[in-house]
Amino acid sequence: MLSYVIRRILATIPVMLIVALFVFSLLYLAPGDPAAVIAGDQASVADIARIRASLGLDRPFLVRFGSWLWHVLHGDLGTSIFTNLPVTHMIAQSIQPTFSLMVLTLILSVVVGVPLGVIAAARQGSWIDRSVMLMAVFGFSTPVFVIGYLLAYLFGLELNWLPVQGFTPITQGFWPFLRSLILPSVALGMIYIALIARITRATMLEVLSQDYVRTARAKGVGERSILLLHALKNAAVPVVTVIGLGVGLLIGGAVVTETVFAIPGLGRLTTDAILRRDYPVIQGVVLLFSLTYVLVNLIVDLLYTVFDPRIRY
Amino acid sequence: MDRRSFLKSAATSAALASGGLMAGGLTMPTIARAADNKVLRFVPQANLANLDPIWTTLYVVRNASLLFYDTLYGVNSQLQPQPQMCAGHQLSSDGLTWTFKLRDGLKFHDGSPVASKDCVASIKRWMARDGMGQMIHAQLNEISAVDDKTFRIALKKPFPKMLYALGKVGTPVCFIMPEHVAMTDPFKPISDYTGSGPFKFNKAAWVPGASAVFEKFTDYVPRPEKASWLAGGKRVNFDRVEWKIIPDAATAGAALQSGEVDWWESPINDLIPTLKANKGVAVGISDPLGNIGDCRFNHLYPPFNDVRVRRAVLMAANQDHYMEAVSGDDHSLWSDLDSYFTPGTPFSTNYGGKILSERNIAAARKLITEAGQMGAKVVMLVGTDLPIIKAQSDVTNDLLTKLGFKVDYVATDWATVGSRRASKAAPDKGGWNVFHTWHAGVDCVNPAADIAIYANGPGAWFGWPSSPPLQAKIEEWFNATDDTAQKEAMKQINKGSADFGTFLPTGFFKFYQAWRTNIHGVVQAPFPSVWDVTKS
Amino acid sequence: MSTTYEAAPELPEVLAEPRKRGRIATFIRRHPTIVAGGGLLTIMILVALLAPWLGTVDPTAIKPWMRTRPPSAEHWFGTDMLGRDIYSRTIYGARVSLIVGFAVALLSSVAGTALGLVSGFVRWLDTPIMRVMDGLMAIPGILLAIALMALTQGSVTNVVAAITVTQIPQVARLIRGVVLSLREQPYVEAAIASGTRTPMIIWRHILPNTLAALSVQATYICAAAMITEAILSFIGAGTPPTIPSWGNIMAEGRSLWQVKPFIVFFPAAFLSVTVLAVNLLGDGLRDALDPRMAKRL
Repeated sequence: MLSYVIRRILATIPVMLIVALFVFSLLYLAPGDPAAVIAGDQASVADIARIRASLGLDRPFLVRFGSWLWHVLHGDLGTSIFTNLPVTHMIAQSIQPTFSLMVLTLILSVVVGVPLGVIAAARQGSWIDRSVMLMAVFGFSTPVFVIGYLLAYLFGLELNWLPVQGFTPITQGFWPFLRSLILPSVALGMIYIALIARITRATMLEVLSQDYVRTARAKGVGERSILLLHALKNAAVPVVTVIGLGVGLLIGGAVVTETVFAIPGLGRLTTDAILRRDYPVIQGVVLLFSLTYVLVNLIVDLLYTVFDPRIRY
Repeated sequence: MDRRSFLKSAATSAALASGGLMAGGLTMPTIARAADNKVLRFVPQANLANLDPIWTTLYVVRNASLLFYDTLYGVNSQLQPQPQMCAGHQLSSDGLTWTFKLRDGLKFHDGSPVASKDCVASIKRWMARDGMGQMIHAQLNEISAVDDKTFRIALKKPFPKMLYALGKVGTPVCFIMPEHVAMTDPFKPISDYTGSGPFKFNKAAWVPGASAVFEKFTDYVPRPEKASWLAGGKRVNFDRVEWKIIPDAATAGAALQSGEVDWWESPINDLIPTLKANKGVAVGISDPLGNIGDCRFNHLYPPFNDVRVRRAVLMAANQDHYMEAVSGDDHSLWSDLDSYFTPGTPFSTNYGGKILSERNIAAARKLITEAGQMGAKVVMLVGTDLPIIKAQSDVTNDLLTKLGFKVDYVATDWATVGSRRASKAAPDKGGWNVFHTWHAGVDCVNPAADIAIYANGPGAWFGWPSSPPLQAKIEEWFNATDDTAQKEAMKQINKGSADFGTFLPTGFFKFYQAWRTNIHGVVQAPFPSVWDVTKS
Repeated sequence: MSTTYEAAPELPEVLAEPRKRGRIATFIRRHPTIVAGGGLLTIMILVALLAPWLGTVDPTAIKPWMRTRPPSAEHWFGTDMLGRDIYSRTIYGARVSLIVGFAVALLSSVAGTALGLVSGFVRWLDTPIMRVMDGLMAIPGILLAIALMALTQGSVTNVVAAITVTQIPQVARLIRGVVLSLREQPYVEAAIASGTRTPMIIWRHILPNTLAALSVQATYICAAAMITEAILSFIGAGTPPTIPSWGNIMAEGRSLWQVKPFIVFFPAAFLSVTVLAVNLLGDGLRDALDPRMAKRL
């Protein structure tokens, strides 16, 4: 077991290296020039060249990559070209909104998605089942920003129940914090709820047809206990898998959701940085996102052994 | 260690790690609560990503800098430079030596007095980056401190526009920083934002992309005169000015309507009717000097290296289309422009600019055929992330297609346009034929900061127009010492620019600003001016 | 085992019905999702193909003096900020979404299959290829696509390429999995032992067995690609604005969604319906082609 964990952790290193190299070369090849953005309209061509040089952007690729990697290994993600602030500081500033959004979305998706899937499975073929599955397909098919604007229009502007924009840090009270995140997490959660509901339903159906469930039924165990005790526990494995796979989806969705709801999180930080070619920030955030993805999937793999003792390494 | 307890500890450390992340997030500055009418919550035009107003020339950086830096001179609403940090100056009779004396009571935010050596270092850093500053530099003999309160600029030949240069509001503004900060390479950003202006910048509370906080500097001594733009007494009635960055216009509008913010610098025009309908919101023109749209030609390559083709575009363009696309149906916000200078200013002129109102596509096509450029390919760079630029580009795309060109619409972001427009390569080899931008009207009141009209070839702005006779007229303006001579020079420059087709001005347009009705004293200025503004 | 259990109760009906009703009716009854999804998708394809004859005008013609007009008899879906006809733009926009969806599905299937086959058959290439695929998967797809778009100038081809890159790893992993399990099958082992050349083994034994899973995966990729195109255009990193795509129309109307909601509404509705159609088709195909997979998802 322990050796498996170590092997898995070691295996993430080449993956992260590939991510780093890939992102770095992408940005190296990208045509935009942060120096031109900084210099503004009044600057001459020579001014831009001097700013480039002072930013170290005129050095060869390998030199820049090597020096960046060296610093990253020492926990230094560099300094933002524009703000002149450490990238780690900027990430720390914008991590709370994104992290809160993702956690709340995840909770919401599980709390709504799993029961929907269980009900659909228990009433397989009924109108409840059909409508849950139809809703799930709708959830897949509507872009997150469309759902976001619809929700903001309905609950923010028409009904005036919830704020349409912004993020309130948890330090200013839990309720304002929660209020600011409800609409974004519902918008972002829609596709996730759909995914989890479908997976839960499918696994439940499979488990319900297993011998031991039939044995339990034959022994006179109540239908409700069968659903909750036997089936749901076994359905946990695929649900956890989906959570792992979905983290990538969630991160991508967060980028768009933060734009729609003006949340100053990592997604906005990244898109702003891409538009301005703030290389150190882009590299730092993408590295962080990738690391999150890799770690979450590592944890998911380890959780398998908790939920399903048959799986051994 | 068995599997389950290992997992438990793994889960615990994961929880710790995420707790650490949370704690990182929680270090966000908690905002001290001041009396609400002493706090101004302001939504600026753009994200404040940097605060070095010399290193970067973005207007949003200038606007923030005006809160916490001060200037030696400052233009008033008549664009006349008035002493601000300076008590006054003396000019030697040969016009070569300027001696400036600082007024009393000037202090930096760290408590140290402002000395002449700080001014000398700041002017030097500014000169390296500013167009007028470089002209001064070119004829500079010496700039030095005479004593703690006095410094001198000695020139090789007279530069009558000295006070205007030191007090202008167009970027980069000649802000005064402490000497040790101003010694920074002008091509590298500073990170110490100590100024001597009426507010202090709270660096710890700065979250790029979200917010910035400026706190009242209690030791600031305003001048006794009434405030007017950069001139006069900068009296402030707020303990804090909080900038809230809201990039989505619809979202910012909703925040103003619900009273979550007090003042929105740049509402989009289509939202104005909604804002006007709200009883708690007032709406007014922000900058009376407005903006001039610019369809920029590359003079180095066909088809726009031929004056006939450039003139053809000028005579075919319909500025109404550009302005409707940029500013919408509200005609009080924009006007056509038969000039290269800001309309309504003392020296503005439309002499020789008739071609801009001809709107004759047939004649234009004839001229293009005559030049042998019918069907030529035009590479147009479009920064689609800036709506004003995209709207102009879409109209030009339509216009050039009607004129018989094949337009290659290069959709990209402004960062890419910014670097690619600097390329002198052939359009099909990484260069370009056309791009769009706009110039703040305050920069176009005269040729001083209006780099867009320069026609000195390699030294000119992007597109590198080269016309020695036109450039000679611009020199004449710089050397002019009286109003009549300045006025005549500008008439000739305007005619020369239209005849030469330096670029196509696409019209003159203004923006609104919007504020809550409990904010009083908002004025029209080229920057959001908080002097004498109060909140009830 | 569970498969037989599932299929058993349906068996008599299945056997009894076909003779009585027409084959089409049977197909509709047995695969309602395929019919619904395929039908909707066919309508959308027809709309895209017949765009010029559906009462549209030039979707790029600007009329700045007619901007942001609400839907009317002249402009069925209203006009946008440049006075362009939103109905025409939406109808022509179907072409972009469908081209992007189909092209990405096709290209990523082909490239992913190739990589998956190589990975499954050439042992020394397996680890490097799969590590690169892991690396690509670890970068959030949208961010990767945005970064790729920053690298190039906006065009439909580049959008297709950028989205394809984000989808290849999934296909490669799927195919590699299938290859590895098929290699263990006795008939494949027999073919290898008898000296059959690898390309022949792939052609005869491997590819036919991947088709079911691949075609289902391809429909989902198609749906994902259409949504991604819209998102990319929405944040300004997608199809160039000269080309009317649903994402572009929505991006341009985005700041006005409070006051002129119709600009965003129509393309959003078309996009949702089209993606829904593709997803339904995918679900139906999965149920029909691979009952085991149906259980899993």
